[in-house]
Amino acid sequence: MAITIILPKYFSATSAGNAVRVCKKILDAEEDITLDASNLVYADPLGITLLGAALHDAFSWNLRVRISGLGEDVGGYLQRMDVFHGVDFVKCEPVKKRRRNRGDSLVELTRVDEVSDVDETAHRLAVAIVGRFPGIDPDEPPDEMSGYTVFDRLVEPIQYSLCELLENALTHARRGSHGSAFVWVAGQYYRSSKIVRLGVTDNGCGFLASLKGHPELRRKRHLDAILTALKPRVSCNRDLGIHDDSVNQGVGLTTVMRIAKHTGGRAVILSGNALHDTDGRSGSTPAGSIWQGVAVALEFRRDQLARTNFRELLPLVEGIPRIPLRFE
Amino acid sequence: MRTQLPLTSYAKGHLAGTRAAAAPLRLRAEEILSSGGDVVLNFRGVEATQSFIDELIGYLILSQGPSVLERIVFRHCSENLRAIIEYVAADRCDQYLKRPTHH
Ligand SMILES: Nc1ncnc2c1ncn2[C@@H]1O[C@H](COP(=O)(O)OP(=O)(O)OP(=O)(O)O)[C@@H](O)[C@H]1O
Ligand SMILES: [Mg+2]
Repeated sequence: MAITIILPKYFSATSAGNAVRVCKKILDAEEDITLDASNLVYADPLGITLLGAALHDAFSWNLRVRISGLGEDVGGYLQRMDVFHGVDFVKCEPVKKRRRNRGDSLVELTRVDEVSDVDETAHRLAVAIVGRFPGIDPDEPPDEMSGYTVFDRLVEPIQYSLCELLENALTHARRGSHGSAFVWVAGQYYRSSKIVRLGVTDNGCGFLASLKGHPELRRKRHLDAILTALKPRVSCNRDLGIHDDSVNQGVGLTTVMRIAKHTGGRAVILSGNALHDTDGRSGSTPAGSIWQGVAVALEFRRDQLARTNFRELLPLVEGIPRIPLRFE
Repeated sequence: MRTQLPLTSYAKGHLAGTRAAAAPLRLRAEEILSSGGDVVLNFRGVEATQSFIDELIGYLILSQGPSVLERIVFRHCSENLRAIIEYVAADRCDQYLKRPTHH
């Protein structure tokens, strides 16, 4: 026996609630799954990472997954993004486009399992994305003053954001009974709108479980937990304990959101039954649909990326005397 | 004695990113500090995340107090990096000094 799950028209950050609803059905499935993709026309990196994480769960229960009715365009795209690894195709239009070479395949869906892989993955992904910007030459001579090329400056904020989000997912998300949580990442550059989109999704404990003991979290609800995590200097681990060898500052996620905003982009965060969109649309996912973990969609405007200015981005530290530091 | 630690081998491309990558560098800095030397962090060609900088110097401020900064030199920092280092130092010194038990 198999159950049929109908994929929505859009599997993306702008309709993240629908994507979570469908993923929840995949996660709850106890028998083989047929995904009906006849309505599906568009998926973005957030949708791809959510689907990748949900399919991973189905495969871990040894369920068989088939997909039917996949159109040529979206089907070709999703196959190139490596979303349907292990999925059987039935009644799908044949995909004519050839696979891309490995050189740019790194924007494809990637699962990261170890913190020690984060730096390398974040760098490779950021380089692959910026490598798709037309007119940018990675081999141009660097600026004499700074030592950096334009390419380097475009890579940095993307790599920075990926490092912070991936390390969060492989540390905080693994607390409690979620020690074996993973994180999935995908990215794409949209040439016509000149926008970079990233999706980073984990299947860990979620914001609420991570911050439930924090005094700033007054109402124990998923949306409050997301909004609390976004406040600067809020962390589940801000102080050194006597035997502790790990500490956090509570600023990473805040800064990543500000980098995206600073470029004129936006962010969408999902966790539990809550969804926060920096463009103002925040609230609950559709009834009964829950994401166990954290999913973040980031959008950067390419034209503003190289101008990231951290003095403007970092939170203010008010009323604190300037600390003398030895810069040379 | 000043011991110079180049950051390049802790970065991927031009960015030193994760706390996990910063921890071994901090251990090296701690060794130098505990033997009475000063540490020169050479950031030529390297940017860093706030998390990386906090794992490196925020941690040292919380464990040894703000005076540890008198023995750390930051060399060849870009404007962005300087802003991050100043932020981390200010925030962690403030946190340390507000602790009831810091003496
Ligand atoms: N993927 C995640 N899963 C669960 N909880 C998370 C996740 N990401 C962040 N959090 C929670 O949100 C808090 C704030 O995250 P943020 O990245 O801003 O700070 P931090 O990681 O604690 O500190 P820093 O980034 O300075 O190392 C974290 O302390 C943690 O409680
Ligand atoms: Mg963090």
